[in-house]
Amino acid sequence: MSTPSSDVLALLEVTFDAVVIMDGRGRILAFNRSAEEMFGYRAHDAVGRNVAMLMTAMDRASHDEHVKRYLEGGEPRILGKGRDVRVRHRDGSEFSVFLSVGRIPNTEPAQFVGYLHDTTLRRKALATLEAERQLNRLYLDLAQVMLVATNRSGVVQLVNQRAIRVLGRAEDEILDHPWVDRCVSPQDRPLARAVYRALLVSGTDDPHSCEYHVHSAVGEDRFITWRCVALRDGDGMATGMLLSGEDITDQRRAESEAHKALERMNSVSRLATMGEMAAGISHELNQPLAAIANYAQACVRLLRRPSADLPEISDALEQISGQALRAGEIIRRIRSLARNEDVRRERQDINELIREVHNLLASDARVHDGRLALDLAESLPRVTIDGVQIQQVLMNLVHNAFEAQSVGNSPPHDGIPFEVRIATRLTAQGDVEISVSDLGPGLPGDAEQKIFEPFFTTKATGTGLGLAISRSIIKAHDARLAYRANEPRGACFFFVLPAHLEASR
Amino acid sequence: MKDLPPTVFVVDDDDAVRDSLKMLLKAAGIAALGSSSAQEFLSVYDPAQPGCLLLDVRMPGMSGLEMQHELNVRGAMIPVIFITGHGDIPMAVEAMQHGAFDFLQKPFGDQDLLDRVQKALARDADTRSRMRHTDRIRERLSSLSPREREVLTLVTQGKANKMVAGDLGVSQRTVEIHRAHVMQKMEANSLAELVRMMMSIAQ
Repeated sequence: MSTPSSDVLALLEVTFDAVVIMDGRGRILAFNRSAEEMFGYRAHDAVGRNVAMLMTAMDRASHDEHVKRYLEGGEPRILGKGRDVRVRHRDGSEFSVFLSVGRIPNTEPAQFVGYLHDTTLRRKALATLEAERQLNRLYLDLAQVMLVATNRSGVVQLVNQRAIRVLGRAEDEILDHPWVDRCVSPQDRPLARAVYRALLVSGTDDPHSCEYHVHSAVGEDRFITWRCVALRDGDGMATGMLLSGEDITDQRRAESEAHKALERMNSVSRLATMGEMAAGISHELNQPLAAIANYAQACVRLLRRPSADLPEISDALEQISGQALRAGEIIRRIRSLARNEDVRRERQDINELIREVHNLLASDARVHDGRLALDLAESLPRVTIDGVQIQQVLMNLVHNAFEAQSVGNSPPHDGIPFEVRIATRLTAQGDVEISVSDLGPGLPGDAEQKIFEPFFTTKATGTGLGLAISRSIIKAHDARLAYRANEPRGACFFFVLPAHLEASR
Repeated sequence: MKDLPPTVFVVDDDDAVRDSLKMLLKAAGIAALGSSSAQEFLSVYDPAQPGCLLLDVRMPGMSGLEMQHELNVRGAMIPVIFITGHGDIPMAVEAMQHGAFDFLQKPFGDQDLLDRVQKALARDADTRSRMRHTDRIRERLSSLSPREREVLTLVTQGKANKMVAGDLGVSQRTVEIHRAHVMQKMEANSLAELVRMMMSIAQ
């Protein structure tokens, strides 16, 4: 009897399948580790014994028949093909395996090798795996975010129901297709590619964030905010990406609606910012003043003539008085804006007003590559104010602050993004301080004295009325708009509103 | 044509400003006409009418700058004085770059305005007289025969009759006759005057 070479035995040891080598009479010549695990016999117990001990009673008889027939030159029934058979564990239990048998070439007398694949286990594992997969699938589909996994080349390996709904395509139109080319809107593809390239080479496990449009087969493109992580193998090599996306189309639309509303307000009433209002007022005021000057100068010339044209002079004087009234009307309008005529004061939550301003100015901040931050103290007492006027003051201050930071600075400045902060706090006296601060250059010493004077401006296109009007609004609220340097840098404008006393209600 | 009095055209959408400017100009003895918009002015503007333009930079519809552009496109020579408000300096600079005669910032004194208007009217009169002069020269030039044109060209290049005769392959006597006709038709008393005429239309 020849035993298999040590090479073959070594190979058998690492084979996952159970392998049994036997001779023509069914005597076991080799029994690998997987076979030990499968049948519960140690190799040294099994070698030398007949394979029949591994078989059920039913197969045992037929097995000897098969071998015998083969050796007599008969038709091989099983060789090379394989079939499901029932086998017996050392403890007597029976189970199913997939058995394939081959003759080892150049062996005389013939040796046979049998590969046994435990289908029970495999089936069980498959069933478990399938159940797990379905559970995972359920998790994925329950998620309210879009989930997409791709391989390293960006080909979609997995996509959840939410993503399928947003994309408006059948699952098989997405699976196994390149994510960017198939689903990302054409104008955003370079962006998406750049983010994914960066993610795959980054070597970090931190998620990358980005926003881009995806193409929907059923309607308009959707705007999605994404978080993307690299999937890595045991060695840390990126094998793909997992993308989780939230559809923010409607949110963005609401924001841009708010922006449009702001612009409408701008163009219709010119009241959105003090600066625009002031520019409008100064132009309007200039017109009657120019007319008055012209009429008066014409009168002087007419009177100097030897024969004065009295009807013409009288006409001019009437025009002068009319234009003076027109100028007075314009001034009355400014006063009513600043002095709180025809306006209602109400007890209000200042933080709520500020949040409204924040919503309105979020897009203004984006225009300046900046950020409008809120730092609001909780449970402040209410204040009795004209909300619209206070909001106008805040909008004017915020607008100025962004402008102050962008002047001469291309963002990001010193790596610090432009930030304007609206803060509220309770003072030691129990009143409410509201401040608007920025990280810009602040005010030079001499400007500090003059900024509240009408027509003083440091801006090329400014009218110098914004702060003056803001201050008079705050004054009408029995408070004072003041300036202090911001820590660590920049400017800070603040005012303190008296707290509303509950008792005086 | 020569007899049309110079007129200041006031284009301003503000009735009071426009009317007061007209009155001031008339009180100073200057004819003035008003238009309430750029379109209105352009529809009635006659280039033969001497004068100047007082133009408000800010107007609804076509702005002052747009109107200036339109006049430039039409080749109108009328001098334009812009009236600007507070903070309109960048616009005034742009207007000057596009050939505006001057600008006035509101509010302005009457003498300032009248001085500038007088200067603009003088410029217009000067431009028109130069144009009339060159028109006359062109008219005379067109009365020359082809041969006389050739003689004129060579003579004003400083060539003597002998050389002209050589160039044209005719006798010196023939050149002298042509030359006398040229001087007569062009109403030139000397060769120097003839050269000046040719230079004035070459510009």
